[in-house]
Amino acid sequence: MPATRFLAKPYKTLVEAIQSFKAKPSTAFCFVRPDGSEREFSWNGLYEEIISRAAQLKAAGLHKGERLLLVLPEGEDFVPTFFGALWAGIVPVPVYPPMSLGKLNSYVETLAAIMAGAKPKYVCTPKKLESLLWPALARSPSIQGVLSAEMLRAPPAEPMEKPENILPEDICFLQFTSGSTAVPKGVVLSHANLLANCKAIMVDSLHCRKGDVAVSWLPLYHDMGLIGFVISTAVYEVPSVLFPTTSFIRNPGLWLELIHRKRGTLSFAPNFAYALLHKRLRPEALQRFDLSCMRVFGCGSEPINPHTLRAFVSKLAPTKLAPKAMLPCYGMAEHSLAISFVGKDEEVRTDIIDKASYESKQLASPPADGAETLEFVNCGKAFPGHEMAIFNAQGKRLEERHIGEVWLKGPSVACGYFENPQATEATFGGGWLRTGDLGYLAGGEIYITGRCKDLVIIHGRNYDPQRLEWALDELEEIRQGNVVAFSRPGPHSEELVVVAESRSLDKEKLAAQVSQHLNAEFQLACADVVIVPPGTLPKTSSGKLQRQKTRERYLKGSLLAAQAPQPPPEALPQTPWERSLALLYKANAYSLKAAKHALEIRSLADAKQKLKQARDHAFERAAHWLSRK
Amino acid sequence: MQNPNSIVNLFSQAAFEVNGKTFQNLGPSTVIASLGMDSVAIMELIGYLEEQLGLRLPDEELANVHTLADLEKLIQHIQTRPPP
Repeated sequence: MPATRFLAKPYKTLVEAIQSFKAKPSTAFCFVRPDGSEREFSWNGLYEEIISRAAQLKAAGLHKGERLLLVLPEGEDFVPTFFGALWAGIVPVPVYPPMSLGKLNSYVETLAAIMAGAKPKYVCTPKKLESLLWPALARSPSIQGVLSAEMLRAPPAEPMEKPENILPEDICFLQFTSGSTAVPKGVVLSHANLLANCKAIMVDSLHCRKGDVAVSWLPLYHDMGLIGFVISTAVYEVPSVLFPTTSFIRNPGLWLELIHRKRGTLSFAPNFAYALLHKRLRPEALQRFDLSCMRVFGCGSEPINPHTLRAFVSKLAPTKLAPKAMLPCYGMAEHSLAISFVGKDEEVRTDIIDKASYESKQLASPPADGAETLEFVNCGKAFPGHEMAIFNAQGKRLEERHIGEVWLKGPSVACGYFENPQATEATFGGGWLRTGDLGYLAGGEIYITGRCKDLVIIHGRNYDPQRLEWALDELEEIRQGNVVAFSRPGPHSEELVVVAESRSLDKEKLAAQVSQHLNAEFQLACADVVIVPPGTLPKTSSGKLQRQKTRERYLKGSLLAAQAPQPPPEALPQTPWERSLALLYKANAYSLKAAKHALEIRSLADAKQKLKQARDHAFERAAHWLSRK
Repeated sequence: MQNPNSIVNLFSQAAFEVNGKTFQNLGPSTVIASLGMDSVAIMELIGYLEEQLGLRLPDEELANVHTLADLEKLIQHIQTRPPP
C-alpha cells in the first residue's frame, strides 16, 4: 500500500518550521564531501547547530533585516548558517563561490555588483576563499568585515534559544538572479512566498510522502538547489542527500550512484545535466544501478529539449528507471522557484504544432497533413491558488493556443527587487508578474516557446533564436552551443544576424554554409554571418549565452574588442567629426582595458605600472591614427 | 620530442577525451579561458586529469589558474604536498 501523502504544514514562517526540528532524531541532511566522506545531521542536530550559529551571528553585531552575504561552498556550513540567519531575522544573500578556472576577474565583477545591490554588512566565507574575495569586498562601502565559516562552527557562549520575532511578510532572503542582464537584481522573498511555493512543490505537485529521499548536486546559492532541496525538504522533513556541483561535473555517474545507494526518490536538474549524463555514462556502468526507487527526475530552469529526455530515459532502461519519473517543470526566481509541473505519473508529453502558423500568426495550431512542425514540451498547470495567463504586447489577455508573454499571479510571486522600485514596477507592476517568457496555454497547460526579448522577428514572422541556433549546431565546424542568432534593424525591416564561434580558417566558406543551412531549414536569409574565434561570445557566470549583449557588441562593432585590440581599419574616417568620434571610441576601448587591469592590481606600485601601460598603449594608438591623417 | 607527461600533452589528451576537441598550438602560456570552453567543459576536463593523475585539485586553488603553466604548477604542488 502506498504511504500516505503529506498534508500542507500549518507554519506561518520558516522559523516555525525550524522550531519543529527540535528533539527529532531521524536523519535530516547527509552532506557528501568532495573526498566522498559523509556528514549526517539529524533534525535535532541541525536545530542545535542552527541556534548556535544564530547566536554567533548576533554576537558579531548583525541585527534583524541586515544582510549577510553567504559564500559557502560546503553544504554542511551553508545549510545551518542559512537557517541560523533566518532564526535571528538576518537576511542571507547566497552567492556562488569562485571556482571556475581562470574566470576570477569576471567573478569579482559580479560579486561587486551583487554587493552594490544587497548592501550586506558582513560576508561569511571559509578562510581559504577570503583572499579571492578581497578585490570585490574592497569596493563595497557597506561591508564591515568577514565572518569566517570556521569561527561560526565554534560553539557560542550561549545558543540563541528564542528566535527573533518574525512575521510572514518579513523578508526571508534575497535571491540574486544568475544575470543574463548586466546588473544583477536581488529578488525579495518573504516567508509567506516560500511556504506557499514549498507547499505547491511538495504537496500539490510531487505528492511527497514518508519514505521520500531527496538527492541533489544543485548549487545551494541557486533557486532550484536552495528552495527545492534545502528549504522545501526541511519544511516537509524529507531527508536530503546533498553533494557538491563540482563533484557531479567531474563524475556525473556519482549522481546515479548516490540515488542507488541512498534509495533516492526525488531529484531535479536542468536539461544540460541529463545531456551530460547521457554523453558520459558507459552502458556497462549502468548495470550495477537499480533506480526503480526514483519517483521524480525533474527537469527545468532552461529550455527543455524533448530529445534529451527521451535519450536519457532509453539509456537508463537497464536501471529500471520508470519513464514516468521524468518531470518537466517551469520556474523562475521571481516566482520563488516553481511555476508549474506536469502531472505526476505521466510520461513526458509534447505538443506538435504547425510551424507556419507559429511563425506568421503566433498561433499554436495542429499541423496540416505534411506541413512542417515544431515540438514543445508540456510543463503542466498552474498550482492551486495561483494563476497563469498569456498576454500580448499591448497587455490584452489572449485565448488558448495564442502565443504571448506568460504572466503570473499568486502567493509565490516575490515581493519585488531589493531597493529597485523601477525594475520592480517594470516586472511586478499592475498585479501580475511578467515573466518575459513566451508561451501558450492548451487545456490550461503551459508550453514555453522562448524568451520575449530574444525573439527574432523577420518580415513579420517570429523565430525563436534557440531553434535557429540548435539547427546550426549540426554544422561540423561550428563549436556546438556557441552560436547566437539575433536581428538588427535593416533598411526596410529587421534582418537576421548570426555570430558563431569556430576555429575554421576559411571563414567565408563557413559563413556561406551557415547561410545556406538556415535558408534550407527556415527559408531565412542571413544579412550577416560573423565567424569569431572561440571564447568571443559573452556568457553569464553559469555559461549561458548572452544574446542581448552579443547583439549590443555587434551593433557597436566591438564583438572582438574583448579579445585583442584590432588594428585600425585601412579606410580612415573622412571628416574631422568622424575622426573625433573614432578616437573617442578607441579611447573608450582602452579605458575598459585600464579598468580590467585595475582589477588585477595587488599593490599601489603594480597599479601605477598597469595604468601607465594602458595609458602608453592608448597614446601610441592615438598617435598612430593621427600620423596617418 | 615532447615529454609525454608535459602539461600540454596531458591537457590536449584530456580535451580530446572529454570534448572530442583537438587544439592546435597549445603551449605553457596558453590562457585556458581563451580556448572557448564553457565552465562545465573545463570542469569535466579537470575531472579527467584528476582521474589520470590520481589526485584532486581543490576548487578554490583552481580559481587562480589562468594558463597551462599555472595548472602544471598547481598539479606539482598537490603532488608534492604531504597528505593532510
